Amino acid sequence: MKRKTSLPAVFLIPPLIVLAILAFVPTIAAVNIALQNRELSFPNSSYVWLANFIDLFGDRRFINAIWISLIWEVVTVTATMLVAVLLAIFLFERASPRMRRLISILFIIPVMLPRVSAAFVWKFMFNPLFGLINYPIKLLTGAPIDFLSLPATALASVAVVDVWQWGLFFSVIILKLLETLPPQPFEAARLDNAKTWEVHFYIGIPMLAAPLISLVFVKMVESLRAFDLIYVMTRGGPGIATETLDMYAFSQGFVEAGKISYASSMAVLMMLATIIAFTILWKWVRKWQ
Amino acid sequence: MAVKSKSPVSKLVLAGLVIIAVFPIFWVFLNSFKQLVDIVSTTPKFFFTPTLDNYIYVLGRENVQHGLINSIVIAGSSVLIGAALGIPAAYAVARYPNRFSDDIQFFVLSLRFLPPVAVAIPLIATWLDLGLYDTKTALIITYTLLTMSTIIWLSIPAFSRVPREIEEAAIVDGYGPYAVFFKVALPVAAKSLIGAVIFSFILVWNEFLIALMLTTSDAKTLPIIASEFTLLGRNVPWGILNASVIVLSLPPLIFVGVMSGFINSALKKKD
Repeated sequence: MKRKTSLPAVFLIPPLIVLAILAFVPTIAAVNIALQNRELSFPNSSYVWLANFIDLFGDRRFINAIWISLIWEVVTVTATMLVAVLLAIFLFERASPRMRRLISILFIIPVMLPRVSAAFVWKFMFNPLFGLINYPIKLLTGAPIDFLSLPATALASVAVVDVWQWGLFFSVIILKLLETLPPQPFEAARLDNAKTWEVHFYIGIPMLAAPLISLVFVKMVESLRAFDLIYVMTRGGPGIATETLDMYAFSQGFVEAGKISYASSMAVLMMLATIIAFTILWKWVRKWQ
Repeated sequence: MAVKSKSPVSKLVLAGLVIIAVFPIFWVFLNSFKQLVDIVSTTPKFFFTPTLDNYIYVLGRENVQHGLINSIVIAGSSVLIGAALGIPAAYAVARYPNRFSDDIQFFVLSLRFLPPVAVAIPLIATWLDLGLYDTKTALIITYTLLTMSTIIWLSIPAFSRVPREIEEAAIVDGYGPYAVFFKVALPVAAKSLIGAVIFSFILVWNEFLIALMLTTSDAKTLPIIASEFTLLGRNVPWGILNASVIVLSLPPLIFVGVMSGFINSALKKKD
């Protein structure tokens, strides 16, 4: 296939132009709007340059949202990976091949649900009056716990849903990866009387280091998309206990004030932060592969 | 070696895991066939007289029908455009590597890094200025960014897995480069490509934030309509809510088998 042909140009250039337009229009528009004082309810606007950005750093709700987003990111990524690895090893050791095939279909169901549905399913489970989670709690203590309305438990409860979707899904992927590993190193270790957890901790996991790091990367990107869960389950509440950056930008730009320029300046900072962070991470991930 | 120990304890744990994975959804499914009194009872009810009232109400609502049609048109069009442009692009990247290939792949992937809220907020202003705010066209175009980048990203490995010998044999038989693509590579890679296309359909069907911010009435998609049900006040019509969640979730769940096969073939042992 070394012949001169027009195929690469014909197949590549139109899609890339379309993608570039679709990607750069919102990016440029975000920067442009962020430098103005546009509001949805007023037709006129003028350039205020960096005023929005300066305001942001004095905005305690914004600083809170950064913290909540960082906590969310760390908690969901760590919990998802822990759950996925432990489950995968458990299934690999204890489930028959037939059971594994069944489970690898059942465990991808949660992640395929629309997040709005997943959020509702669990909002219903957590319901203090007739949620199934509160049923045993009521029997034991006499009083239900309103998990989604308590500042101490709200974020963790939403994180449960995220881990339910992604932890189970990743466990299927890691199980398939474990099945592709050559059996000899495992057998050798077992002959040396290594315990099951030692076999996996010292042999299985290190052999899968590269794909596991890729999975961490995928989950970090996906964890940024927590908006649907939080919107349906808590709306950022109680107070601002679960208000992530996207939730706060949404309420500033859309619901409370229509301050679209102010929201855009948040969008610009989020774009910058994620693009820089993920570009560096990606280059690092590639080195591992 | 996995079969050796199947103690009752591990069977119990396995059963528990399966329950955690699917029971919450099954519970919503059961509730969607209950009268309100059976849902709000203080002890969970597993046996009850089923009713179709919730579904009749949900599917009879004009806004649900409208949202359903919008979702089908918007998801369908953006997936079709994404596939028509993305699949050939992926083939070119996989089979005609040049010095930009790595950069192209990284650019396509980096689109996934963009926080959706950061795309949606400026687009509110852009679509308003163009007079296209709250239209299906605006959503289809916006979603094409999502479908096209996903389809390109997932189709590159699909084409790389097509054995080169088949394509080279076709060239020897006098096929031109385009004929090789349409008559050889495309059919051979079809199974994985369909997986990629369905995956992007599910992404768009489930998408919430962008649809929420870019629609106010005419172009609302089904997830937005369903979320409006879930945000009703204290006297919630729980049965109707459960039914609307099931209606929204059915299309992606139909494809569970296909996606499972897609994951299997992507992670298969090489040789």
